[in-house]
Amino acid sequence: MIEALRKKAEELLRSNTVNVIYGYGEGSTPERTRPVFITKPEDVSKLTWNKYCVYNLTTYLKRRESRKLGKPAIVVKGCDAKTIVVLIKESQIKREDVYILGVTCNGVGEPMATKCKACDVHTPRIYDELIGEKIENKEIPFEERYAELEQYEKLSEKEKWDFWQKQFAKCIKCYACSSICPLCFCDRCIVDKNQPQWIDPSAHPRGNLSWNVTRAYHLAGRCINCEECQRVCPADIPLNLLNKKLAKETEKNFKYRAGYNIDDELAMATYKEDDNQDFFK
Amino acid sequence: MRTWRLCGELFLFQLVLVRYSIVEKILKKEKFNSLITGLKDQGYKTIAPKKDNNLIMLDEVQSADEIHLDHVQTNNSIKEFFLPKTEKILSYRMEKNKVSIEEPEGFAVKTVIFGSRPCDAASLPVMDKVFNWDCTDKFWIQRREASAIVTIACDKCDNYCFCTSVGLAPDSKEGSDVLLTRISDDEYLAETVTEKGEKLVESLGTVFTPADNPGTETLNRQVATVEKKFEIEKVKPWLDENFVHKVWAEFSTKCIGCGACTFVCPTCHCFDIVDECTMSKGDRVKNWDGCQFKMFTLHTSGHNPRSTQDQRWRQRIMHKFKYYVEKFDSILCVGCGRCSRVCPADMNISEMLEIIATENSQTGDKE
Repeated sequence: MIEALRKKAEELLRSNTVNVIYGYGEGSTPERTRPVFITKPEDVSKLTWNKYCVYNLTTYLKRRESRKLGKPAIVVKGCDAKTIVVLIKESQIKREDVYILGVTCNGVGEPMATKCKACDVHTPRIYDELIGEKIENKEIPFEERYAELEQYEKLSEKEKWDFWQKQFAKCIKCYACSSICPLCFCDRCIVDKNQPQWIDPSAHPRGNLSWNVTRAYHLAGRCINCEECQRVCPADIPLNLLNKKLAKETEKNFKYRAGYNIDDELAMATYKEDDNQDFFK
Repeated sequence: MRTWRLCGELFLFQLVLVRYSIVEKILKKEKFNSLITGLKDQGYKTIAPKKDNNLIMLDEVQSADEIHLDHVQTNNSIKEFFLPKTEKILSYRMEKNKVSIEEPEGFAVKTVIFGSRPCDAASLPVMDKVFNWDCTDKFWIQRREASAIVTIACDKCDNYCFCTSVGLAPDSKEGSDVLLTRISDDEYLAETVTEKGEKLVESLGTVFTPADNPGTETLNRQVATVEKKFEIEKVKPWLDENFVHKVWAEFSTKCIGCGACTFVCPTCHCFDIVDECTMSKGDRVKNWDGCQFKMFTLHTSGHNPRSTQDQRWRQRIMHKFKYYVEKFDSILCVGCGRCSRVCPADMNISEMLEIIATENSQTGDKE
């Protein structure tokens, strides 16, 4: 599979189909990979593929430094490919701006990432070239896809509040969560706006609560569950619980799954008369 | 004249050397509880490594059972006990023709930091220089005075550790008041490093016992071997010449511009001051800030002198290994490796320094 990936990457660079490959390379330790940006055909041997390829490389579509390198081909897993769909739907990129090097995937991380446990996109649903044997994407029931919320949803309102108070107290406001998120693409985040100051920049209880809740809400109906925010959090805050809960509510109320079908209308940007409006009270 | 001066200098040098002589004692693990109780009785708050789910955090402990010692490094650094992630520096109230200001008190609490690593301890004297510079920072200084540092030498390390490349060691004494080194499964050799440390040990009475065989050579000191990754002497000369170089962009394309590296760093000390206020009253708050954020250098005009990530990454390296050295004669890095461990994109600072040191050697060869 690595050989096929390198071969295709080399071909894309030689034919000038793309200017750069965003891919995975060897990391600091054998248990780690890192993003690499290959611009020369002779460097494709730096590309790798293994179970430690957890990153969602589509985040580099929002970064000026990587965009400067020209048209990219991006190595994406099934989950990451959903980001590209959302970015297209939200007019951030055009389909032809990016070459999708889809890889089939049986799960990443050691131990395996939570996102992989109920995966129904082992084979990306959108790609230009598929690397690896096609794996059948089995449909997974709604409840099973949101199984990680089971314990959390059993908590009382008070317990949930206490749980998040404790979690958010650990936040150091490094903004790794939003920096890594491929869908947090605002040029100037609301937390950086101070006239008026919507969110206190301080890492005290009020500032941390408003930041973390706002971040999650801005991803409601948009988050594709790549779990990158949670992976990178140096304070080990289970941020994906928030994202997952919002995704579940969106699916329940609007039958919408972010990035799943390119023809679906965006849940948060489309109004339908028959939308479920029970939550207006 | 010169001879006399030299003699004088030698005399002074000896004075410095003899001013403090190390006292060796033994601390048994079973005494940890009496240690914590003893400290509590004297009014100290004890900070020690504690397990919190997947993290090992330096945090307040009430008993020895909470202390976790089987780790390479704590996730948080020692800095937050002197420079907290957020703190109120004053409150103000505006009335008709008057502004009243209230300054916080009681922020310097008597504290013992127990079981932090030598790299963390070594960061403190480095940071003392900047906080005692043109503007003396009372928050830092008073907390430093109220605290004692009881370090435990590292008995293990990982790939990210590089203290030996920046002039330190897994059993360095810099910044510690007492250094503990494991000598058996349940015993530590305690070496007092400062008078403050010695007084602390004395004040705890029988918690520390006399060493049977004074002289550390005879003891089985369990200290990790940290591989030396680069020659630090080669770093600054290269930085002096290469403000513009392709390596900055090549290395940092993967950087996502968050502040994780600077916030977990024991020596990154930049902060931002904000007012949290209503029309008539407010708090002035000091928060951690970091040079990797694009907002960090954004001017009111809209101009940003560090508009791309490679410039911000260069700033991080330059500040630590060139500017701080020029200003304060210290490297602003203790080789703890935290920045590389947490980096979301696996940017590895020692790898960058290895590249720089190698580049320097190659340039040298050409000449």
